[in-house]
Amino acid sequence: MDELGRSIPKAIGGWQAAGEDRIYDRKTLYDYMDGGAEVYLAFDLRQVWTRKYASPGKGEIALDVFDMGSPEEAYGILSCDRQDPPAGIGQDSTYGFGLLRIRQGRYFVSVMAADEGESSGRAVLEIGRAVVRALGPPGPEPDMVGFLPREALRPDRTSYFHADVSLNNRHFLASENILGLDRTTDCIFAEYDTDSGQPALLLLVRYPGAERATAARRSFLSAYAPESDPEGLAPTKNNAWVLAVLRDRYLLVVLESPSPDRARRLAASVAIPAK
Amino acid sequence: MTHPLTRRDFLKGTTVVFLGASLGAGQDAPAAKKTRVVLVRHRDVLDDNSAIHPDILQGMLDEAVTRLVDESDPVKAFGKLVKPGETVGIKTNVWPYLPTPHDLEAAIKRRLIDAGIAEDRIGLDDRTVATNPLFVQATSLINARPLRTNYLAGMSGCIKNYIMFAPSPEALHPDSCADLGSVFKLPIVKDKTRLNILCALTPQFHGRGPHHFSRRFVWSYKGLIVGRDPVAVDTIGLRLTMAKRREVLGPDQELPPVPKHIRLADTRHGIGTSDINAIELVKLGWDEDILV
Repeated sequence: MDELGRSIPKAIGGWQAAGEDRIYDRKTLYDYMDGGAEVYLAFDLRQVWTRKYASPGKGEIALDVFDMGSPEEAYGILSCDRQDPPAGIGQDSTYGFGLLRIRQGRYFVSVMAADEGESSGRAVLEIGRAVVRALGPPGPEPDMVGFLPREALRPDRTSYFHADVSLNNRHFLASENILGLDRTTDCIFAEYDTDSGQPALLLLVRYPGAERATAARRSFLSAYAPESDPEGLAPTKNNAWVLAVLRDRYLLVVLESPSPDRARRLAASVAIPAK
Repeated sequence: MTHPLTRRDFLKGTTVVFLGASLGAGQDAPAAKKTRVVLVRHRDVLDDNSAIHPDILQGMLDEAVTRLVDESDPVKAFGKLVKPGETVGIKTNVWPYLPTPHDLEAAIKRRLIDAGIAEDRIGLDDRTVATNPLFVQATSLINARPLRTNYLAGMSGCIKNYIMFAPSPEALHPDSCADLGSVFKLPIVKDKTRLNILCALTPQFHGRGPHHFSRRFVWSYKGLIVGRDPVAVDTIGLRLTMAKRREVLGPDQELPPVPKHIRLADTRHGIGTSDINAIELVKLGWDEDILV
């Protein structure tokens, strides 16, 4: 990461690097990120390299380059917080209101102007482009993204993560960890268009083994849909349905489905590879 | 595991585990035996650039504390909280994007001095309170910080502000910071907190990115939420946060994930009340868009 610092310009568009560059690891991340560290520690974060840029009278821009350990993990951290339009920088990126988020290979980059303005916005994008040039080649998506049926899949709404802190920030499900999620589980959360206008939601969880998947399904249904039938199907609100089914070490949960049949078809169309 | 609150419960409106029953019930019932929380607002405390008018802020603090302790004079009101000769620590918050305003720190300090506390016996600290001699020796604490959301704990309020007193703050992170209330039972803190001030001048109701901050999720509410009970103060703060989230983000995102530590500070650690029916909320000043 020290090399990275040397390859990123210290003066960009009238903004100058301010203070010392710093590097934090999994143990020291709390010193830098108050309230957000756990979200990153739920992934395979290795290090974060940080630099501040300043311009007189225009505030400060924070540049953070996260080595997420693998391209899949970098995909994950970007995917859990997609609210802005694409920025066209790096392998994938979003930009809005002074916050640029990029993934490139195993790196996730955040460039943020605390005080959003035209000048700082331009500088944020310029810094982002300069950083990407230093980060190396693109990398693959998580394999589970490829399991999803494409029909009616909402673009840019698919998230990949491991732990319940990520799930609850993406879609609050419960106050307790009713699915038994942790760093050993892999999760995909996706949205599908329906005729009602409200998306059906698909949560796909891969556990280390079938026993944990079975226990998680039991726990989920007990807490979230105690009235479910043996198939794992239950009505929820406004004629919506929830379904939880197992396939070996995978648990598939469909939420907000407009009908039982839609829930069954969505779950059945997930292309989980044979063992 | 206790029965978890699920999204379904929340959408059905059974959020009493987080919020108690309706706030209206809490206001209409007799005030006896209730925990008083004062919400004071002033239209002109911030200018168009969100700069603070110190005199107005001082007046808001004075108004809140006098009402809190049923005293007409602000110096006498602070005199009910601290005594001359004490060492007092002001636990502030230095989070760079939304710190405790210096003007609020100054207003608190001024009244402590007025009440007879020697200036060199007043500590002001955040990150090093656990080892700061003025906090180690303190016989009274004032807890002052801004209201904001948090990825992990749902909300950062007066309860969470004391995490830096813990020997290992990270050890309090599991399960959405469920046991933050335990910090108030540590010897360095126990029974010392005289006043909790949740600064809602520019609260933050949502967060984005690694630093959980964006100016678009901060609004000029121009208020202070003040009480002797940190749990009751945070309960009102959470209610305000949820009201703003509902207004801006929609009902599905009303609840920031997952502010369970506020309820557990009451039910598990017994350091205050999160039952809205046991809180007497006194509203003073500007009431436009008050939300709670």
